[in-house]
Amino acid sequence: MSKTPLLEIEDLYARVCDKEIIKGFNLTINEGEVHAVMGPNGAGKSTLSYVLTGKPGYEVTSGKIRFRGKDLLSMAPEERAREGIFLCMQYPVEIPGVPTMTFLKHAVNAVRKHAGEPELDTPSFIKMVREEGKALGIDNEMIRRPVNVGFSGGEKKRLETLQMSILKPAFSILDEADSGLDIDALKVVADGVNALRDGRRSMLVITHYQRLLNYIVPDFVHVFADGHIVRSGDKNLALELEEKGYAEFVKEK
Amino acid sequence: MPGLIQETKLFGENIPWLQGLREKGLAAFKRQGLPTAKTEAWKYTRPRDLNADDFIVEPSNFLAEIRAGLDEAGGCRHADGNCSCGGHSHKSGCSCGCHDCSAEQEKGCCQGHEADCGCPEHELDLRTELPFEAYQIHFVNGKFIPVHPALPRGVEIMTLMEAVLTDEAREYLGRLVDLEHYPFAALNTFYLEEGIYIRIARDVELDKPVVFINHSETGAENLFYNIRNLVVVEAGAAAKFVEYYKYGGDPKSRYFANIVNEIFVGHGAQLRHYKLQNDAFKAGHVALNVVRVKEDGRYDAFALQRGANLGRNETKVSLVGEKAGACVNAAYVMHGWATLDTTTDIEHLAPCTCSDQLVKGVIGGDAKGVFQGKIHIAPGAVKTEGSQLHKALLLTDTAEIDVKPELEIFADDVKCSHGAASGELDENMLFYMQSRGIGYEEARRILIDAYLEDVINKIGPEEIRGWFRGQVK
Ligand SMILES: Nc1ncnc2c1ncn2[C@@H]1O[C@H](COP(=O)(O)OP(=O)(O)O)[C@@H](O)[C@H]1O
Ligand SMILES: [Mg+2]
Repeated sequence: MSKTPLLEIEDLYARVCDKEIIKGFNLTINEGEVHAVMGPNGAGKSTLSYVLTGKPGYEVTSGKIRFRGKDLLSMAPEERAREGIFLCMQYPVEIPGVPTMTFLKHAVNAVRKHAGEPELDTPSFIKMVREEGKALGIDNEMIRRPVNVGFSGGEKKRLETLQMSILKPAFSILDEADSGLDIDALKVVADGVNALRDGRRSMLVITHYQRLLNYIVPDFVHVFADGHIVRSGDKNLALELEEKGYAEFVKEK
Repeated sequence: MPGLIQETKLFGENIPWLQGLREKGLAAFKRQGLPTAKTEAWKYTRPRDLNADDFIVEPSNFLAEIRAGLDEAGGCRHADGNCSCGGHSHKSGCSCGCHDCSAEQEKGCCQGHEADCGCPEHELDLRTELPFEAYQIHFVNGKFIPVHPALPRGVEIMTLMEAVLTDEAREYLGRLVDLEHYPFAALNTFYLEEGIYIRIARDVELDKPVVFINHSETGAENLFYNIRNLVVVEAGAAAKFVEYYKYGGDPKSRYFANIVNEIFVGHGAQLRHYKLQNDAFKAGHVALNVVRVKEDGRYDAFALQRGANLGRNETKVSLVGEKAGACVNAAYVMHGWATLDTTTDIEHLAPCTCSDQLVKGVIGGDAKGVFQGKIHIAPGAVKTEGSQLHKALLLTDTAEIDVKPELEIFADDVKCSHGAASGELDENMLFYMQSRGIGYEEARRILIDAYLEDVINKIGPEEIRGWFRGQVK
């Protein structure tokens, strides 16, 4: 069966504050594939995730990104999200004064509207959030609180996962999904993520440590250093990396 | 100043004390003139545009009506026994036939809105627009529309001139206004005529809010009108008073509404005062609320300014009795070229008084927000607490904010604080929402609403709070 490319990144260069961070990055992710990008701290992994989602201040100087064949770089962040790109952030943002429930409802309805689906009424929406939240250990009290305000690190990651579960994006980027999580919380998050793996949805798992990849097992692993991919392989590459350290790979180039 | 001082026939010019008050107002205004850049109290808000030559002061309906009443019936034509009019005294329940806009009343209440004259319909329209039950009083372009809500015992609402005729207003009118320091209030005093008098009798707790609505309708163009309201809450009584300045005519019409509220809160009494200023965007709206709170009394206010090109809502509260308290909260939301000014002056004149102020603004376009907040603690006003916080959200690079906090503390053992902050919408929050599919504008809207949430939450009654929450959007 021939593969359908979902995301194609070609010779990407990008900078933040006049600092070139992404330099000649190439990657194609097909439908249903889970790719892991591993790299040392400060390599530019989070930068890559922001370039993909269109965060202001992250400037692409050359290269192309296509999502389902469409030019991603010409789309506003919200359009990218509505097209099916979701970023599980390394540092989720606190939004005082906005109840989590309200925020989720706006997000779900924006995405549904784009897909030509009717907006969910409040009871069905609440029902959906409760059901999805249950598996992640998210109770009603948590979603009445303002978005991420006063949440523990684990709660923030669980809320990110909940958003992913209810928005059901075609392509998810997980940026250090395990940071700040103990092993039990990590399993909960990984289960939530794995539940979305249906052979069609794709993922980009960004991580510094190999540990997470025991729970979210990738189809491909890429080593990211000096602004681009220095080596690609299967899940065993992650183990090799863990053993040898990044220095080995960075040297190679 | 030919534009603002005009020869006009006012009701009750033969009543010496009333006329005397008007003359004092005129003299005080002439002495001060319009505030200029050098006037400290107005240094950030320039009322230049209010000094135009083409403003028109129209005679009130009230005068015409009273005349008609007197001429035709040789005095009172009210059949019902409780009528005690000097022409027209609308006690509660007065449903006299003289206000039905029949042909003979053409000069009466329908004056000014030719197109759809038919007051009963108009009245229906006017009554359906609030999401809560209320005793509604309506003005159109600064003129009283004689429709009286049925009132429970212990509450009186009448026009100011009726209260003058029955002598009720005499012990209150002009008592709180310092004519020499408030030029617009002096001018308002010169034009004393339109406005309402509300009195809540001792220990009466009013079940529903009294809502004063001024509709700026077709015909508002170039009008200069003055409204003076008197609110008296007697000892132990409690009431809610809502002012709503609403425009329904040409959104571009330019007019100048000059409002003064004199408010008396008695011993142990409570008044909650809510105001929504949503005038046309070229209008001027200058309001002064002067409030006196006696021992154990409480004045709780929230004012939202949303409309007008130049809007000022100034509140002066004198806490004259021990343990008197005031909460003076406000919000403003503005775009375009508007200047919206919130000025407060809280005088703690007795021990153990307390005041609290939260003022928040959202400023877009080339607009300018002004907040001047003064807390004065008089000698001897020990154990008082005063706090004040102003915050503004600037939506554009050209939005501007001027803030002047002033503390004058002449007593020991007091707690007093003030703070001010301004900022912009948080880019990270906006991006976070966008990255979930929420559009940029919608995300901004959500953040702006969230920004105002805490000040809106200062509004106690839930139904009124909900109404205001809808109005900031
Ligand atoms: N907003 C920013 N302003 C300035 N420098 C930045 C910004 N974001 C990232 N950087 C720099 O870009 C580099 C890559 O950062 P980041 O993408 O967060 O790396 P990683 O996620 O791989 O740890 C770092 O050197 C960091 O200091
Ligand atoms: Mg990172």
